[in-house]
Amino acid sequence: MITHYMSLSVILFCLGILGVVSRRNVFIVFMSIELMLNAANLGFVAMSRLHVNMDGHVLALMVMAVAAAEAALALAVIILLHKHKGNLDTNIFSLLKG
Amino acid sequence: MLTTYLFFGLALLAVLGALGLIIFKHPMNGAMSFVVTLISLAGLYALLSAKLIFAIQLIVYAGAIMSLIVFIIMFLNIQEKDLPLDPNRWFYVAGGIVVVAPIAGLLINISRTLPATEVTVFDDGFGSVKEVGQLLFTQWLLPFEIVSILLLVALVGAVVLAGKREVN
Repeated sequence: MITHYMSLSVILFCLGILGVVSRRNVFIVFMSIELMLNAANLGFVAMSRLHVNMDGHVLALMVMAVAAAEAALALAVIILLHKHKGNLDTNIFSLLKG
Repeated sequence: MLTTYLFFGLALLAVLGALGLIIFKHPMNGAMSFVVTLISLAGLYALLSAKLIFAIQLIVYAGAIMSLIVFIIMFLNIQEKDLPLDPNRWFYVAGGIVVVAPIAGLLINISRTLPATEVTVFDDGFGSVKEVGQLLFTQWLLPFEIVSILLLVALVGAVVLAGKREVN
């Protein structure tokens, strides 16, 4: 049964990668990154259940805190981008290209 | 037996929500679809008897982070014409599947070697607030403090970035 949980975690992570690769909307890319973090969390909790050891739960809490910090900063950057360019295209981020 | 049915139902919902996130054109539809994924993941945590993580997933992820994202999407008032055109989108999806599918197959095959334990929900203290809290404040005290500093830095950074006034 743990096998199924880990397979679901792998599938969700791959869907997150596909979202980051294929879409150009900043919001969708950002939410795909959140999806990958959630898939990693599912892996942590499933392994924690397999070994009957709660370290995985604590690690999942840490990942959630990092995701919250990332959400705050990324949304601030998106607001700035929209204010200056009036657009949500990730290709605008090529501003720093040398 | 019931847990097996629940697992497959929730897993189907999670995958459908994730597919909706990468297929829907408007970010608002994508965000709503992503909320479905987050809530079904919370149900899966409950099946794995992670009671604290179940509650925190619902409150912090499906509640706080997603409402923040939805708030920003509505605040920017995104119309259909503001959305970037994705002419090569399916091309990139196909390329991504070609790259990702072998890695996914390898990982799923590796996970087949895990011992086949029947997943039952513990009714003792496993994963409850008291046990995880004791672990968090004894063995994981230093990472916990570092994460609190990280959240403070992110707070200050977000205020500095988004609260900047235009100087003329």
